[in-house]
Amino acid sequence: MNVDTLVIGGGPAGLAAALSANKNGVKDVLLIERGPELGGILPQCIHDGFGTVIFKERLTGPEYAERYIQEIKKTGINVKLETMVLEIDRNKRVIAVNPADGLLDIQAKTLILAMGCRERTRQQILIPGNRPAGIFTAGVAQRYINIEGIMPGKKIVILGSGDVGLIMARRFSLEGAEVEGVYEIMPVPGGLTRNLVQCLQDYEIPLHLSHTIVNIKGKNRVEGVTVAKVDSDMKPIGGTERFVPCDTVIVSVGLIPENELSEMVPLKLDSMTGGPIVDETMETSTAGIYAAGNVVHVHDLVDDVSTEGEIAGKAAARFGELKERENPIKVEAGENVRYVVPQIIRKKSFEKNVKLFFRVKEVQGNTFVKVFSDGEQIYSMKERVVRPPEMLSVILPSSVLEKTQVVKVVVEKDNEKSS
Amino acid sequence: MKDKKLGKKVKQFLEDKKYFQINSSVNDGIVYLDGHLDNWENVVELGHKIGQLKGVEEVVNDVLSNDSVKAATEPKIRLAKKFYDPILPKKADVVIVGGGVVGCFIARELSRYKLDVVLLEKESDVCGGATKANSAQIHTGVGESFGTLKRKLCVKSWPLFDKISDELDVPYDKTGLLIVITKDSLSKNIPGPFRHFLCKYLVPLPVWITAKMAKDKPKIVWKGKLLKMEPYLSEKALVGVLMPNYGIIDPFRLTFSLAENAIQNGAKIFIETEVTSINVENKKISGVVTTRGTIDTDFVVNAAGVYADRIAEMAGTREFTIHPRKGGTVLFDKKTDKYATHQLNEFKLPRNEHTKGGGVLKTADGNVNFGPSALEVPDKEDTSISKEDLDNILEKYATVFSYFPQKSVITYFSGLRACTYKEDFIIKPSKNVKGLIYAAGIQSPGLTCSPTIATMILEILEKEGLPMKEKEAFNPISKRAAVFRELTLEGKKNIVAEDKLYGNVVCRCEHVTEGEIVKAIHSSVPALTVDAIKRRTRAGMGRCQSGFCGHLVAQILARELGVPMEEITKNGGDSRLFIGKTKEFLAED
Repeated sequence: MNVDTLVIGGGPAGLAAALSANKNGVKDVLLIERGPELGGILPQCIHDGFGTVIFKERLTGPEYAERYIQEIKKTGINVKLETMVLEIDRNKRVIAVNPADGLLDIQAKTLILAMGCRERTRQQILIPGNRPAGIFTAGVAQRYINIEGIMPGKKIVILGSGDVGLIMARRFSLEGAEVEGVYEIMPVPGGLTRNLVQCLQDYEIPLHLSHTIVNIKGKNRVEGVTVAKVDSDMKPIGGTERFVPCDTVIVSVGLIPENELSEMVPLKLDSMTGGPIVDETMETSTAGIYAAGNVVHVHDLVDDVSTEGEIAGKAAARFGELKERENPIKVEAGENVRYVVPQIIRKKSFEKNVKLFFRVKEVQGNTFVKVFSDGEQIYSMKERVVRPPEMLSVILPSSVLEKTQVVKVVVEKDNEKSS
Repeated sequence: MKDKKLGKKVKQFLEDKKYFQINSSVNDGIVYLDGHLDNWENVVELGHKIGQLKGVEEVVNDVLSNDSVKAATEPKIRLAKKFYDPILPKKADVVIVGGGVVGCFIARELSRYKLDVVLLEKESDVCGGATKANSAQIHTGVGESFGTLKRKLCVKSWPLFDKISDELDVPYDKTGLLIVITKDSLSKNIPGPFRHFLCKYLVPLPVWITAKMAKDKPKIVWKGKLLKMEPYLSEKALVGVLMPNYGIIDPFRLTFSLAENAIQNGAKIFIETEVTSINVENKKISGVVTTRGTIDTDFVVNAAGVYADRIAEMAGTREFTIHPRKGGTVLFDKKTDKYATHQLNEFKLPRNEHTKGGGVLKTADGNVNFGPSALEVPDKEDTSISKEDLDNILEKYATVFSYFPQKSVITYFSGLRACTYKEDFIIKPSKNVKGLIYAAGIQSPGLTCSPTIATMILEILEKEGLPMKEKEAFNPISKRAAVFRELTLEGKKNIVAEDKLYGNVVCRCEHVTEGEIVKAIHSSVPALTVDAIKRRTRAGMGRCQSGFCGHLVAQILARELGVPMEEITKNGGDSRLFIGKTKEFLAED
């Protein structure tokens, strides 16, 4: 089959991208989703706090998704559920399969990748010990409780203070399970401040910073974990080990953009984000293939994911209007900046404004976020405190970048204040 | 008379080496030890030393240590589940204890004859012990000491695998083993330039000769070609010896195919069925008592892996001790495939005497893996992996590369080798109980030797009086169920058209469909747990380690077995994945 725009992934990025492509004039949009329903991870995120930017409301995950799903239903967007992409190539030919249609051979004019991300596992961080039942990643546990209505355990230890881990600490407590504590290897918490307050402090769940799990015990089911304090190199300190009996270990140690399909194309990836290198229209290194949301880089707020989807959908609709990218502006991460997305900007963009998303490397107080165009400062904004878990952004008018070669984002100490 | 002399010799040895706390006795060439030592390492070391004394046939080592308390832990008796409740036959001609690759191979070979064959496995699946957690190598015997049964069988076995993989439809890949000789292959005590010269020109020779003697066709590969063959090798590599007949097999698939083929030819296999005692009358086997009932039989084949000594004890005889030796393996993402085409082993002297050194291996599915390590442990159930072991494996084996992306670990595991103190296989009838036949002490290269171990066991059974009449209808061919990810586009199209369940991709990392999972659940050795599904289909074996498909697999299992999700286990026994429904737990408080 032939389609104009094929969107892979029906989570928040894919939903926004499909809608935006449709609104901007693409007649034939096909949205394919692996799972049995649209919304990606949102249906299992039953807590609130979604949509504060886009809808100016505090919605739950399912409510947020439903707004987009209802919109989609009003359009002629074709949706295929339970559909798994098996192959993809740079000519935008996609082989997919589902029980209803069988094998699908799809030729698209433009492609939007919105596969989201997956959770880092216990194995990837090399926690030693046994391999019993009772070790779950936070998102998996969330799915069991909120969608399947099943309890993974009664006495819980959580490793990692990322947002999903914190939210699950609260969720387990609400279900009557005992959360013994949250252990974080870093000296600073991994999640948003609001989650630290609402999910841990309000439930009197202790957060142990600079701690990790050094062993998991249990032949059949988890029987307990050994925790230990770590030094500044994150190495466990001998003599600080403590055995904590529990039946469940929840691992919340980060998310990884899911780019197996991007590699199959193959697209150029950014080793810092783990996602494709994109320009300000979310176009990847292959013309006509766009990417948006957590597949590009892991976000904190779903609103930002939707915004990226919207940009990608619009760009797909206007595919062909812009010429090949020649000598695009390079976007660099400077002092205390881990990465910036987009990594490149077209010289003559149809986007009036360019929004740069970035994360800092480490916590810093009294700072200035500055943007330089070929060494010349074009933006400066005071930030009281910057933290790695909280994504920052800067909006620049495209007009100021017309002659730029390199844009650099830096986060500097406010020297006047600190001295 | 012989025993008296040997007894004196052992006592003298213990005295000379100042083992004052150890008592010894000798009976029929077997040395019995008891007493107490500081730690398990010393217990094992003593067992080995006694095993090496001339004239010692076997060692029964009852010496305890402070850390050996755990060794007394009995395995949990597994109770019959609602969804798996088979009825055991009242009698059988032969009962095989243990459903590893050896037990299953024996069952399959016995199914060629007009016999009632029963195999009992205590775990929730066949392939549950050492068979599921080893290097998966088909060795040629090059690493084995001369004069051992291990070596003799290994050299005889490896040429059989082309036929075995054809008949049983098992993925088998002759990747070849490349022994890499580097500047560091010999001790650093030898001065630099001289060591370099020895490593380059002398070391390859004995390696080449032993490979030749194992009937392989070794080739010396000089550096230029070596780096072309394996571009990611370290610059310190000087020369390589390629053994082209070294292979990799899928040990899960081999065991399942053997079990399925045995059943197809009339054998009966029972999982979650534990032997609790063995009936012996007048020093002859008369029956086997299990958690599901008693089977009358004249013959028991003891293929119980690390528990082979316990099974013998149940028949009232003690002729050897099995000491488990743990091997850890670290497995990497399939994306690292390009880093190694062959199995790679960096040659190093001096060597650890109880492991062939492991190395950089591939699975039949293309995952690079490092290992296995070798660590003596007192507990027959201890398959944990320690931080030291993980770090050592990652450090030790990566040195053969100029660069290797170690961050792409997807999992790690340990297996337990079932070793005797003679460090060789025991394939013979019991000295004391007629009808009890040992396929014991099966450590590496047990997977490779499984076909000839089975042949030997059959010969012994016949000699011991089991009548062997061939079945005309024996069918050696076993076809494995369709594997979706391996089909062509046309093949995929056809299978989904035939059965819609193949259109539902459940495991997204490995592209495993619902159709394959349902087939595995209802296969002749049913897959009843999440891990059993994993080993049969690869669902959950990929980079997300079942993050996306775990709940789907549990749902499919619950649906197909007709039980609520809370009853689904990871690996049988008490390994329940869930504790109950939400809210019902709140009401409890």
